[in-house]
Amino acid sequence: MMLKTSLRSFFAHKGRMALSLIAVVLSVAFVSGTLVFSNTATSTFDKLFAATASDVSVQPPKPAEDDDPQLGDKVPTVPVALAQQLAAVPGVKTAVGQVMVGDATLVNPATNKLVGPTSGAPTLVGNWTDTPRNALHITSGHVPQNAGELVLDADTAKKAKLGLGDKLRVDNAGGKHEFTIAGIASFTTTNPGAALAFLDTATAQQVLLGEQAYTSVEAFGDGSRSNDRLKADALAKVGGGYQVKTAAEQKAENNKSVGSGLDFMKYAMLGFAGVSLIVGGFLIINTFSMLVAQRTREIGLLRAIGGSRRQVNGSVLAEALILGVLGSTLGIGVGLGIAVGLIKLMNAIGMDLKASDLQIGPDVFVAGYAVGIVITVVAAWIPARRASKIAPMAALRDHGTPAEARSNIVRTIIGLLLTAGGAGLLVLAAQAEKAATGGQYLGLGVLLSLIGFVVLGPLLATAVIKVLGALLPALFGPSGKLAQRNATRNPRRTGATAAALMIGLALVIGASVFSSSAVSSTSAQIDKSVGVDYIIGGGRTPVTPEMMDAVRKTPGVDHITTEKDFDAKFQLPDGQTKRTGLAAVSPTFFSTDFRLPVTSGAVESIGRGSLGIGESFAKDHNLKVGDSVTVTYAKGHTQVLPVGVVFAKSSLYGDASFVDAATMAKAVPAADQPADRTFYAKASAGADVARTLTALEGALKEYPQLTIKDQAGYKELVQSQVNTLLYLIYGLVGLSITVAVLGVVNTLALSVVERTREIGLLRAIGLSRRQLRRMIRLESVVIAVFGAVLGTVLGLAWGVTAQRVLRDQGLGTLSVPTTTIVVTLVASVVIGLLAALFPAFRAGRMNVLAAIATD
Amino acid sequence: MTTATAVYDPQLPGGESAVAASARRLTKAYGAGETKVTALDAVDVDIQRGRFTAIMGPSGSGKSTLMHCLAGLDTVSSGRIWIGGTEITGLKDKQLTRLRRDKIGFIFQAFNLLPTLNALENITLPMDIAGRKPDQAWLDQVVETVGLAGRLKHRPTQLSGGQQQRVAVARALAARPEIIFGDEPTGNLDSRAGAEVLTFLRRSVDELGQTIVMVTHDPVAAGYADRVLFLADGVIVDEMHAPTADSVLERMRRFDGKRTS
Repeated sequence: MMLKTSLRSFFAHKGRMALSLIAVVLSVAFVSGTLVFSNTATSTFDKLFAATASDVSVQPPKPAEDDDPQLGDKVPTVPVALAQQLAAVPGVKTAVGQVMVGDATLVNPATNKLVGPTSGAPTLVGNWTDTPRNALHITSGHVPQNAGELVLDADTAKKAKLGLGDKLRVDNAGGKHEFTIAGIASFTTTNPGAALAFLDTATAQQVLLGEQAYTSVEAFGDGSRSNDRLKADALAKVGGGYQVKTAAEQKAENNKSVGSGLDFMKYAMLGFAGVSLIVGGFLIINTFSMLVAQRTREIGLLRAIGGSRRQVNGSVLAEALILGVLGSTLGIGVGLGIAVGLIKLMNAIGMDLKASDLQIGPDVFVAGYAVGIVITVVAAWIPARRASKIAPMAALRDHGTPAEARSNIVRTIIGLLLTAGGAGLLVLAAQAEKAATGGQYLGLGVLLSLIGFVVLGPLLATAVIKVLGALLPALFGPSGKLAQRNATRNPRRTGATAAALMIGLALVIGASVFSSSAVSSTSAQIDKSVGVDYIIGGGRTPVTPEMMDAVRKTPGVDHITTEKDFDAKFQLPDGQTKRTGLAAVSPTFFSTDFRLPVTSGAVESIGRGSLGIGESFAKDHNLKVGDSVTVTYAKGHTQVLPVGVVFAKSSLYGDASFVDAATMAKAVPAADQPADRTFYAKASAGADVARTLTALEGALKEYPQLTIKDQAGYKELVQSQVNTLLYLIYGLVGLSITVAVLGVVNTLALSVVERTREIGLLRAIGLSRRQLRRMIRLESVVIAVFGAVLGTVLGLAWGVTAQRVLRDQGLGTLSVPTTTIVVTLVASVVIGLLAALFPAFRAGRMNVLAAIATD
Repeated sequence: MTTATAVYDPQLPGGESAVAASARRLTKAYGAGETKVTALDAVDVDIQRGRFTAIMGPSGSGKSTLMHCLAGLDTVSSGRIWIGGTEITGLKDKQLTRLRRDKIGFIFQAFNLLPTLNALENITLPMDIAGRKPDQAWLDQVVETVGLAGRLKHRPTQLSGGQQQRVAVARALAARPEIIFGDEPTGNLDSRAGAEVLTFLRRSVDELGQTIVMVTHDPVAAGYADRVLFLADGVIVDEMHAPTADSVLERMRRFDGKRTS
């Protein structure tokens, strides 16, 4: 019986349910789409690795715990003899020595343009080998047969418009090496998006490794023994700490590395799901509150004729359940669409996933239904409880419109306490000495202030709209007055409707305060502490001496400054050993190029063989000027150095330590020094900075892998990095606003229905359709602007606090993005207008007589 | 307001000064074919200016439909209607709305007031909508007449049913409309509150020269009018001048007798 009532009631309110349904569908779609996508991606790569992995792979020994590979170190190798040794292991059919490195760049010498992916997927260069499970096979031309030939993968060739006979250059730390494309090879399974180039083995060894060795030896069994057995035998044979991995182990490892690449995508999508869940929750709560309010008389009647509280409660929850099941089912369907869309997106980036083998496991359905049903039922629970509290007498009372929700004292007190607590925590966060404690306060403060604002929403609605709406009667006459009154007549509903919008906008304002502070802090830091004119970065490949020479010889360049980065270990006076970043720089680094703020000591001491350390490091480890530290560079080269200077924190170099390049060179022989990744150039006094930049770009045009930035360009780079993060946040906000707009539409549509008689009366005494529509639009705008104002207040509080918390972490300058705030507020007006489109249209079309006659 | 497209029809009897509203061969039918119901059947009616007219009839007689059509709230199937010399049949919604706003006052049975506005705001609402300033002296007089001076700042929920209807009367009077239509204005009130409201309506005709048309099924209410029109099955079957409650009741009984015989 109850189920029948619920079903009837559900379909009687199709329109209202449809809006809530959209919210549920969106949330579930993002969750299930993400799952389907990552399942599909994982299974695709599973197949790729399963099809190509060797039975047993022998790789260079894992570096000892305290001797991690340094950035720019030479590629670790295994000796050539290992291949023969492995081939002799019983059960091994063939063992192939492989060369494969990721630190080379492919350049088209005809155009001086980079070939291959510029970000994300790697560019790999190696030797062509014939194994029983080649990942690629030659589709045109032939395998590299001499030192001048190269095979390129088909996708990369196509993208770079290269064909057989074209020249291709391989650049690495060893210099430039030109080859002719002799063959084009296609992936046998899926192209993971990488660019691959192959040389003949001898050339690969010479060019890529600089020695006769392999990066690994891949062994393939004859099927007589299991891979585990082969591994054990191989281990026994080769010994020497080599890493030996079976096909399964290789697969797991590869999956892990591909997985981390896809993780970003996954988390972004789950973020979307989370936001639509939270905002959708508000929408559902509001929908059910309205349904309950509308049906007060009906529920009262049900109670009067003997329906128990539980039955009333149950009937509302049953409706929620129907909504949840329906929404989840549709959501999973839409989720498949999202997954296909993501796969298409990956294809555009160059990853060859196939939308035709979507992996839809049971986990998709479990997660989808769980999310959809749980959120709906939980959100409907509050209104359901309220419904069950309706007194049977309500059926007999003349109701007209539901009584105005009386402001609840308990609610007010809780809201005030939460908000005050949140504000207090934010203040604490802003004053915290350490960023870590500040961050904790900030997180808790954000949460409390958000909940506090949501709880206080109805109270604020009355107060804020009284102020906001004061202008309306003056500007828009009677429509304005009526709109203002209507917006405040049910503060709880207005509050909940605006809350959805508030969350989205608080996020956007907070994030933009943070990011604009980050950009202006960095700019300010650059202006203050950078004297050098150009920053030249090598990206994936190391900087070579030729490149530095080219810069040095460019007219207008005074000098260049180099920097070698170590992941060094400091043995402190108390015997402890701490790891820290250490930069070995040429003397001009401090003399002319960078002005780092000093806390104690003298910068010049670095030139005299002392160590410069960061303020935090010094504080954390009780170091002061004059203390002796044993520095361990790479490969066990050590040196005892006195601390000469302590630097204050700066956003450019953080808490890094410095040593003079000459000091470092005394301990570390040239062969063991890491390659340079970045270097700096300063223009001569009187040289035109902009013209010299053009000259530099000309001098380095052969090296498209280098990025050359002057100070302005560097600032832009920082900005664009911050912007990438912002785009994601804007995407999240766009979604939450979409759902919030649905909420406003929902509220307005219901108000219009509820006020049918009133609207009829207004029309009868002469309110024109236009005035009526304007009244509804204005109410909508008031609600939207109210939400936007709350969101702005919260967002500003969060953003400013975050800046204070990170003031020593490179966010020294507070910058409030006024444009963004103005745009947000203007946008909220547009949101209000959009949301009112349909309800206003409907109200305008109402028949005056029928409206008056409604009971 | 000169939005009217039709001019006064000279073939109308009585002349402009004497007639506030009139209808000729006014027909209103619902549905079509077999299910067709004729609510008004070629009704001719003239409403005298400065008089209090009551429309009576049993349920389903078409009395409310007649009022709704005269007031421009409902469309007609055929026939013509004039309000103050303006033909309203054939007017577009926009023009009708203006006509209602500027020339007509309404008092409904219930739910006459906007809950979000106080009594005074409700009274001046039609003028607010029109963007006109109320005539303060007239407003004071109206408020005085209906006896609401002390309650102007009250919200409708803080007023009794009788007080609410008096506010509605004041709203109808305040804009000095050509004509006021009342749809069972005392239908929801007890007899004392009803008498109060009817007395105000009577006074506004006598003292302020207002034209009022009221639909009612209550002979007592009709007794306050100058003239009663009796409707049955969509046709005006009789009229009575200077009625009393008893004479109206007597007339109604005769109807019932005729209908049941």
